[in-house]
Amino acid sequence: MPLKDALPTQGRFSQWRPNWVILTLGLAMLAAVWGLPTVSVAANRIVSGTGYPVWQALSWGGGALASLIILAMMVLASHPERTRLSYVAQFAAMVLLLLLMPFGLMAASHWLVDASQPQARLGIGPAYWVVMFLALLGLIELRLRLSLARGWMALLLIGIGAVWLGCAALWLDSLALVQEFQVREAQFYQAIRQHLALVTIAVSVSIVLGMGIALLMRRFYRLQRGGFALLNFFQTVPSLALFGLLLAPLAWLSANVPFAAQLGIKGIGWTPALIALIIYSLLPIVRNTYVALEAVSPDVLDAATGMGMRTSQRFWQVRVPLALPILLEGVRITMVQAIGLTAVAALIGAGGLGAFIFQGLGQAAMDMVLLGALPILVMALAADAGIGALAAQLRRGAAYD
Amino acid sequence: MSRKPQPSLSTYHPAQLLVPVIWVVLLALAVVAMPATEAVFRWLAPDARQVIYQRADFITLLGRHLFVVGVAALFTVSVGLLAGVAVTRQWGRDFLPLATQVASMGQTFPPVAVLALAVPALGFGTLPIIVALVLYGLLPIVRNTIAGLKDVDLATISSARGMGMTDGQILRQVELPLAAPVILAGVRTSITINIATAALGSTVGASNLGDPIIAGIINTNMAYVVQGALVIALLALSVDSFFEVLQRRLRSHTA
Repeated sequence: MPLKDALPTQGRFSQWRPNWVILTLGLAMLAAVWGLPTVSVAANRIVSGTGYPVWQALSWGGGALASLIILAMMVLASHPERTRLSYVAQFAAMVLLLLLMPFGLMAASHWLVDASQPQARLGIGPAYWVVMFLALLGLIELRLRLSLARGWMALLLIGIGAVWLGCAALWLDSLALVQEFQVREAQFYQAIRQHLALVTIAVSVSIVLGMGIALLMRRFYRLQRGGFALLNFFQTVPSLALFGLLLAPLAWLSANVPFAAQLGIKGIGWTPALIALIIYSLLPIVRNTYVALEAVSPDVLDAATGMGMRTSQRFWQVRVPLALPILLEGVRITMVQAIGLTAVAALIGAGGLGAFIFQGLGQAAMDMVLLGALPILVMALAADAGIGALAAQLRRGAAYD
Repeated sequence: MSRKPQPSLSTYHPAQLLVPVIWVVLLALAVVAMPATEAVFRWLAPDARQVIYQRADFITLLGRHLFVVGVAALFTVSVGLLAGVAVTRQWGRDFLPLATQVASMGQTFPPVAVLALAVPALGFGTLPIIVALVLYGLLPIVRNTIAGLKDVDLATISSARGMGMTDGQILRQVELPLAAPVILAGVRTSITINIATAALGSTVGASNLGDPIIAGIINTNMAYVVQGALVIALLALSVDSFFEVLQRRLRSHTA
């Protein structure tokens, strides 16, 4: 600790230490609620909607309710004593706000959307997005203050998501996002399946390949520098460029080698996508496998030898289990990266959720873009949290043994 | 298992400057000499009416690409550094846990999704791409600034204070120089990713080096695709290798 901090602080207000984070977030939320359009209403899919402020969308009562919840949270946050109970109450306020938001959309749709026009649709306005984002930041902050387990947080978010989805499915027919989904329900599920299939195949192939390469690098030192240099080089090449550069040789292959064509290898489609995804995925896997195996302490290996373990036993029963958490970290990075890159692969006809994004951008239909982008975001966050939790579990297991 | 001693990665030699220079020369050559290579690209796309991308010349496209990435980098580096420094000061400590958490979580947001979400909010054109690049590029810089500043030994700071340095002097003369390699690594990641992501901007109406690729994919003209991909790849490699040299130089200074 720096010496300065150990000195007694003086001044009248030194006792008043509010949680500035929550206060700032609360102020920003209030500004968003009253300053930005809450919802927008459009006559059809293509025209841009007109925005409505909160007093028209949710009535004065709705705006007041939202402000009241936020103000309550801010008052709690500025209380001098930072007790656990106060943090729990602030947390509850945030959750309540997030749970009430879809009902606000229902009210807005009831008041603003003309039921006689089937094409009319309700768009979620900037105020909604900003408040949602800030509320999630608030939840993260409060989770850290309460040192709540990740699992509980995940369950809570799934619960909130379920309420949103339930409201959307049952009562929010006029929501533009829901309308986009209803038109292409089958396509949507197929896109998710394609996306997941591409990611899973690419990641599993690169796990097997990458570990093999890492093991070879450990055996043959010469391979190491060249190997890492090559993989780093590929990681630097932009995804769009790599997808593009693969089109030409693969098209040539399918045109000139009949066997390749029979296998379904084409210049456009899943083949270049898969190859590019595997190339990108290799670096994190190889690097983490290598680092993980190297990081095992020589003392532990020495002890294993002393216990009479053979080389293979030492490798499989000591090195690999101890290296597993770092290895999983590599898988996590790869998985998250592949989920994002697969979206770009839609440009070369590989399908997946990216197809919605780029079609939507092409048609200037922003809700279709959201229909593609939001699930990708959710998938990336879920993969990150899931594999992260698994790695944490393994670490804890290793610590207890 | 006998192993040769590993050559230290932190050695800096002026000859290493040759690598980025070679990439830059190749990039310049590719941009200037593209129209002269028609014969090569004719072979790639024998049926196409045109084989060299004509709608804008490659120098203009490169300029626009660099402009977008540069403006974004200006914002990300200055704001990211300020934010990273602010949350590690005594008065900004409250924000440190949240900033750390968000910066690491933000890495999971795919750049395409960030771009796709920026367009509904800001419309088509160059603005959404710059905003998306700024948002996305901020996180690695903030994360690495925080990590670099936190890694500075507290004893070093204490002794600097003991020497009579003020807080500002400690930050400028002790903390930032010691954290510089880590911060620079963040800047490198941020800018390299942004060069790649900016190419996607041509799907939202911002003309840049992504244009030939997109046009080539739409018209199934392989020659266009290869031209765009080649120039972007060379640009990314030039910038990245430049940072590599800079990092080595910095490391050999601090070592």
